[in-house]
Amino acid sequence: MIPSLRYSIFVALAATLAACSAPDAISVSGSSTVLPAVSKAADQYSAETGISVIVNAGGSGGGFNQLAEGQTDIGMMSRDITAGELGKFASLNFQEIAIGRDAVVPSISSEIYDAGVTALTLSQISDIYSGRVDNWSEFGGPDRAIFAIDKEASRGTRQIFMKVVMGDPKAEAAGADLVTGSNNEEQTALTQSDAAIGMLSYAWLNEEVRGLSIILEDGKRIEASLDTIRTGEFPFVRNLNVVTRDDTSQAAQAFIAYLLGPKGQKMVEDAGYIRVSN
Amino acid sequence: MSERVNIRRVQEKCFAFILRASLALCGGVLVFLLGSIVVKGFGSLSLDFFFTPAKDFGKSGGVIYQILGSLLMVVAAAVLVLPLALGTAIFQISYNARPKIRYVLEQSLYALNAIPSITYGLFGLIFFVNVLNTGISWFVGAVILAIMILPTAILSTYQAMAAIPKTYQENAAALGLTKAQVIRRVTLPQSFHGLVTGLLIGLARAIGETAPIMFIATAFSGVTVPQSLVEPVSTLPTHILELAQQSTDPQALQNAWGASLILVGLVAGFSGLALLIRSRLSSEGRK
Amino acid sequence: MSVITLNPPSSRKYRFSGTQAYCFASAALSILIVGTILLTLLVQSGPILLTGNADIIGTKWNPSDGKFGILPMLFGSVFVMSIAVSIAFPVGLMAAVYIAETRSSKLRRVLKSTLEILAGIPSIVYGLIGVTYLNIWIADLFDLQSGRIILTAGILLGIMILPTFLTLTEDAISAVPVKYRENAKSLGLYRHEVFLSIILPKAKSGIAGAGLLALGRALGETMAVMLVIGSLDRLPSPLLNPLSSGQTITSKLGREVTESAFGSPHFSALVFMGLLLVLITIFLTIASRYLFRQKDQHV
Repeated sequence: MIPSLRYSIFVALAATLAACSAPDAISVSGSSTVLPAVSKAADQYSAETGISVIVNAGGSGGGFNQLAEGQTDIGMMSRDITAGELGKFASLNFQEIAIGRDAVVPSISSEIYDAGVTALTLSQISDIYSGRVDNWSEFGGPDRAIFAIDKEASRGTRQIFMKVVMGDPKAEAAGADLVTGSNNEEQTALTQSDAAIGMLSYAWLNEEVRGLSIILEDGKRIEASLDTIRTGEFPFVRNLNVVTRDDTSQAAQAFIAYLLGPKGQKMVEDAGYIRVSN
Repeated sequence: MSERVNIRRVQEKCFAFILRASLALCGGVLVFLLGSIVVKGFGSLSLDFFFTPAKDFGKSGGVIYQILGSLLMVVAAAVLVLPLALGTAIFQISYNARPKIRYVLEQSLYALNAIPSITYGLFGLIFFVNVLNTGISWFVGAVILAIMILPTAILSTYQAMAAIPKTYQENAAALGLTKAQVIRRVTLPQSFHGLVTGLLIGLARAIGETAPIMFIATAFSGVTVPQSLVEPVSTLPTHILELAQQSTDPQALQNAWGASLILVGLVAGFSGLALLIRSRLSSEGRK
Repeated sequence: MSVITLNPPSSRKYRFSGTQAYCFASAALSILIVGTILLTLLVQSGPILLTGNADIIGTKWNPSDGKFGILPMLFGSVFVMSIAVSIAFPVGLMAAVYIAETRSSKLRRVLKSTLEILAGIPSIVYGLIGVTYLNIWIADLFDLQSGRIILTAGILLGIMILPTFLTLTEDAISAVPVKYRENAKSLGLYRHEVFLSIILPKAKSGIAGAGLLALGRALGETMAVMLVIGSLDRLPSPLLNPLSSGQTITSKLGREVTESAFGSPHFSALVFMGLLLVLITIFLTIASRYLFRQKDQHV
């Protein structure tokens, strides 16, 4: 009994060492905004080539950290790498490659939209998130308290939104009543509420969660649409990036080439975003 | 005087009511919990759900790789914990001379049992994923789960060993067997059911855990059967976590309930097996 | 002991058998694991503890500004735990009294095994129930915009620790010898008087031990809480408002650990919270074991 146990421990150890050197699948990790496009493309790529592509969520910041620490082959980011992030890993070189374009859209519960609040200025949105205004009646809506939904600080969606609205991607939102993580979670919270405002990727808007138009300082009103995102008129447009390091494997590079090719770009469109190449 | 009796009688009535109400409340919660898992879960169960991979971020398709991933990880955890639990239990029962060492060991095991599951995940992330640089790997998840179930496995084995009548070992020793021989010929066979039961109870707990493995061992999509030890897998609990975050999507929600029912079924299966083996083997061992 | 003396002294002193080596190594490894976990968490907490200006005992958490005040999370953990306990303890205690007094041993067995099933439901499934039912009911009940609040987390957690508390409390009450209760009843005492004057004093250490163990569970629970608490890193205002969103140490860890870079002050601050949690739960467990032992001596 005991010798056979010792033997099995030995075998297990040997197997561990052997398996550690086995060739790996491609792993991709990061932004929940970029994820749907990459994940769909990954499924198709695996089916075509037999190479498995493992896709993991965790937010843009998480994706970058995992890439920098060598735990994933490709990071997904719905924003640019910040100077602070680069500084933490100064010895490494990173490449950002845009695979699609998207917009963050200030989104509200359909009840408020239907009651007449369909557009706001940036400073009005800023008033909501900094806690200066807390009732929809101030913007011509019903007399209901505004339920402001924030996102976790490292999320790409939040950083674009806060940069445009408050001027600082890391701004604190004193007016926030709830914090969510992924787009799915934010969408759920907006749907369940009847007086909420939040921030969503364009692809997550639907009948229950409506995107606000933005009124610019010159009075021009810009609706969130694929057209205004493509032209860059809508103020919250961003690139959806995949990020690599200098030592990223050939296999991972091949997958990125696939993402930028016609089939990958179709998946970007299917996921509700705008392609970067034809 | 009679007024005093009346007050007492009213108090008694109230007390009886509170007792019944509390039990009814507990019963109500129980029926609601199990009822909703079973009723909601059965709605999405089908052969396809068991045997096809997840599609569309879990909204359609089944959970085959989640079931396989969960089972792979907990079975590996059991294999890892088995020799360690056995050795420690024998040490406690046969070799432990100094009370101080015994005390340290006991307190360590209680501490291990008390540590919140999320901090096991944190420890795994630091120690394995970063310091030993394993990356996100199902095997690291199995190691962490093994550590989590270690106290249960040791305790169960130890109790079975302690229940062996002292005369057995004494007789064996009187026949001239060495200590190691006594352990191999008497202690082990007589307490094997304790080890198996402990492992199964541990498995039942480990398979339902999300927090310890979500940083270190699992991935969201694209996972099939891992080809090496350093790949992530997908598991039932982490799959439910993803689906629970999109709870306004009826399809996602339905699949979350289906996965929950399977998970609860696996937990109940391992626990049931543990009970069965405890009653079977412990009575056989005595013969 | 008698086993050892039957062997020649020389063999026990100088021959170190393989079995012995294996058992010693196993025990040493078991102790080593606990030490490694604590040491790892301590070492990784180092950076944030050594930088004096991080304001750990503050109310602001903003990693980009280097502010790592853990008070909102600490308060959230205690608040949620208090709500859970104030639901689970009275209900659990009363139900335990009822079960313990039941004469039918069959009914008692059925009840106990159902409780074990309940305790075995994985926490993520409780989370799913919280997300689909409880959070919506609570939002409707209090007319809120979202049910992802401290109260929801507290109630859900109360339901989760109920089986553990109930089972252990019932054990403690059943351990009070029947003759005490019979004597009291024959003196003409009503059931509530028996409960207050006999059962409660006799089973008090056991019940308290069960309570501490349940507290530890409540503090360490992650998944269910994380899904329904709302993740707001702010002290509620007013402070004791259970209808506000909040954050516990566990939900903070669950959501933010993967987003912080290993080795950064941000990561270190999160690990420090984890270490704090571990130390508190270990303390609670040791205290509850002490109380359980007290019970053995009294009865």
